Amino acid sequence: MMNEIKLIIADDHELFRIGLAELLKKHDDIKIIKSVADGVELMEILNSQIQVDIVLLDLTMPNMDGFQVLREIKNLNSNIKPIVISMHSVGNYIAKCAKMGAYGYLLKNTDESELVFAIRNVYKGKKHFSSEISEKMINFMSTQSISENVLSNKENEILGLISKGLTTKEIAAKLFVSTRTIETHRTSILKKFEVKNTAELIKKATEINLI
Amino acid sequence: MNIKTLVLIIINSLIVLVIGLLSFSFYEQFSSVLNDRILMQLNSIETLESVQIENYIKSEWKSFELSENYNEDIDSANLMLSDSIKKIDGIHDFTPYHKHKKTTIGFVLNSNKGRKIKILDFRNIQNILLERTGMGESGETYLVGEDFRMRSESRFFPNKKTSDISVKTQGVMSALKGINGRGIFNDYRGIPVYSVYSLIKISNLKMVILSEIDVSEVAKPLEKLKLRLMTLTLVIFLVAVTLSLFLTKIIVDPIKNMQNSLKVMAKGNYDQTIAYKKSSNEIKEMFDALSNLKASLQGAVKFSYEIGNMNLETKYQPSSANDVLGKSLVTMRNKLIDYKNKEDDSRIMAKRLLVNGLENERRRLSRELHDGLGPYLTSLKHYIENNVKNELKKTEMKKIVDDAISEIRLMSNALMPASIDDFGIGVTLTNYIENLNKSTSINIEYEDLTKQENSNISSHQGINLFRISQELINNSLKHAKAKNIRITLSEFDEFISLFYFDDGIGFDMNTVKLGSGIINIKERVEICNGNILINALPGNTTFEIELPIE
Repeated sequence: MMNEIKLIIADDHELFRIGLAELLKKHDDIKIIKSVADGVELMEILNSQIQVDIVLLDLTMPNMDGFQVLREIKNLNSNIKPIVISMHSVGNYIAKCAKMGAYGYLLKNTDESELVFAIRNVYKGKKHFSSEISEKMINFMSTQSISENVLSNKENEILGLISKGLTTKEIAAKLFVSTRTIETHRTSILKKFEVKNTAELIKKATEINLI
Repeated sequence: MNIKTLVLIIINSLIVLVIGLLSFSFYEQFSSVLNDRILMQLNSIETLESVQIENYIKSEWKSFELSENYNEDIDSANLMLSDSIKKIDGIHDFTPYHKHKKTTIGFVLNSNKGRKIKILDFRNIQNILLERTGMGESGETYLVGEDFRMRSESRFFPNKKTSDISVKTQGVMSALKGINGRGIFNDYRGIPVYSVYSLIKISNLKMVILSEIDVSEVAKPLEKLKLRLMTLTLVIFLVAVTLSLFLTKIIVDPIKNMQNSLKVMAKGNYDQTIAYKKSSNEIKEMFDALSNLKASLQGAVKFSYEIGNMNLETKYQPSSANDVLGKSLVTMRNKLIDYKNKEDDSRIMAKRLLVNGLENERRRLSRELHDGLGPYLTSLKHYIENNVKNELKKTEMKKIVDDAISEIRLMSNALMPASIDDFGIGVTLTNYIENLNKSTSINIEYEDLTKQENSNISSHQGINLFRISQELINNSLKHAKAKNIRITLSEFDEFISLFYFDDGIGFDMNTVKLGSGIINIKERVEICNGNILINALPGNTTFEIELPIE
């Protein structure tokens, strides 16, 4: 007898829990230990000594929602692997869950086959994000400006245009923002470089090979 | 009666009265002096001549007395003397005895030596009477007998016999009664004269001597004087009228002017210009005061007009601490400002409540669909998976349920994306536009410059920014025929900036339809205390929206 996958369903909709449990019952290698309606209830179980492999976690729940649960699980430092199962199909939800330690992301209307495949995969220690889900996540992340530099991407762009000698108005038109936005960015850049005017700014930026 | 006429009448009647009285008394004085002078002159002439005549007769009588020539030296053909008269010694007036009534004065003396009669040569007396020095043009001295007949020749009737001229005048009658005197009365010609008269009585001779001068001659200078005085009076009167006209003009014109100005102002018109001549300091000051009054009223009127049009920024300075009107207007303005602010606040508050209510309702519906209906459908899908044995039917049913679920997702997202509460506006717009780019041919680029962590954009602002963006994109797609849209949402420490650009056909701010959502956008900006700058040029339409960080 192969190892049973010990699983908990956390969702506030009873009907959904029942349906899901019904579905998974057909598979012998998956054992549903418990169904809970909110995050608080779930954490009580996880904090007890009961062994749990996988949590099918809904995001929208009363008392404690899915994100909070993910954070708590991360803090537990256990082998519990959460799979998010949600109605939300947008990239930012997926990305956030992935960031917070979810092993997989499934939409609630996912087909049985994929659901079971995902559970088994995750149980093996792999992460499961379907191609559709992955694309949504990557699309979202590609638009995020993640800058490790002192300056934000926008500020870098503006600095480049300032060094080319463009006026605030010209930069605003080029970057599709208001002149006041550019002025505010410029003030922010000057502050970050600890300089007083544009000439000093360009000198310092050249010194550190920023432009 | 108006003031001009009144002043004219008073001044001129005073002047006329004074001149009239002066002229009259002067004339009277002059005329009485003249009368006295004339009568005195006549008196001295008459006295002189009567003395001369008396002396002449007396001296002739003396020589007659002494002469020894006792005869009757008479022209007996013409003079017929009765014996009775011849017996009376003395000087006689024989004129009545003369055949032709020729003036005849004779002497009679009876003595023991015989009877002497002598007829005096009357020409000598006539010559004395002809002496007319100081008698003017019409002066005359003449003698009248007891029978009221002229004895001496008349200057005026030289060809008339003296006895034919009857002189029964007031003077003659008085003199014959022994009263000498003077007076003004009609003479024998019936013409008024100044007359001095006295009786000459020597022995039996009784005659009246009169010296007279025509009143008309004496009155001639008086008439002249009268004429001159009248001319003078007239001239003075004319001058007085002219001067008083001028004077009244000086005084009355400004008063009338002011009266008119005040009348116009009383009707509520303060825009007239007050023109005046600086005829005197008082009038100048009066008009300056009127101008000041007008200016301050105009100011008040203008100010109240502005207030009436709700231009409450209008400045107004009351003209003094006692300017009650000005002060009440300022109070009124301040009250109106308060009122307007309160009204604005409550209007914005009401709008905000309305919009919030609307958004809350949308949120509730969205959640209901997503978290309520959604799970039922997934449960249905599970049910199908578990209970439907026919594989073909199972697949078909599952597909229908999946379609229903994605339709619910779309509806829920359109109503209110859940990520706006979970992730904020920046991310929500990213998702929204990503989805939109899939379904439209138009190129929308969105740049999210909001803070990823610790964003200070409130959910209320987030929802409004999302709706504004939706509305703007909707406009660009529906009306502007744009090919490119660029949206930038930047978050700073003090403010949030939403910049929207499209290269569509633009629109006219004044004729843009209410349905195109601009009003909606403006309202949403207003309830967030933000401001909006619209630049609707064809090919370069931009919206700059700024909201303060709350």
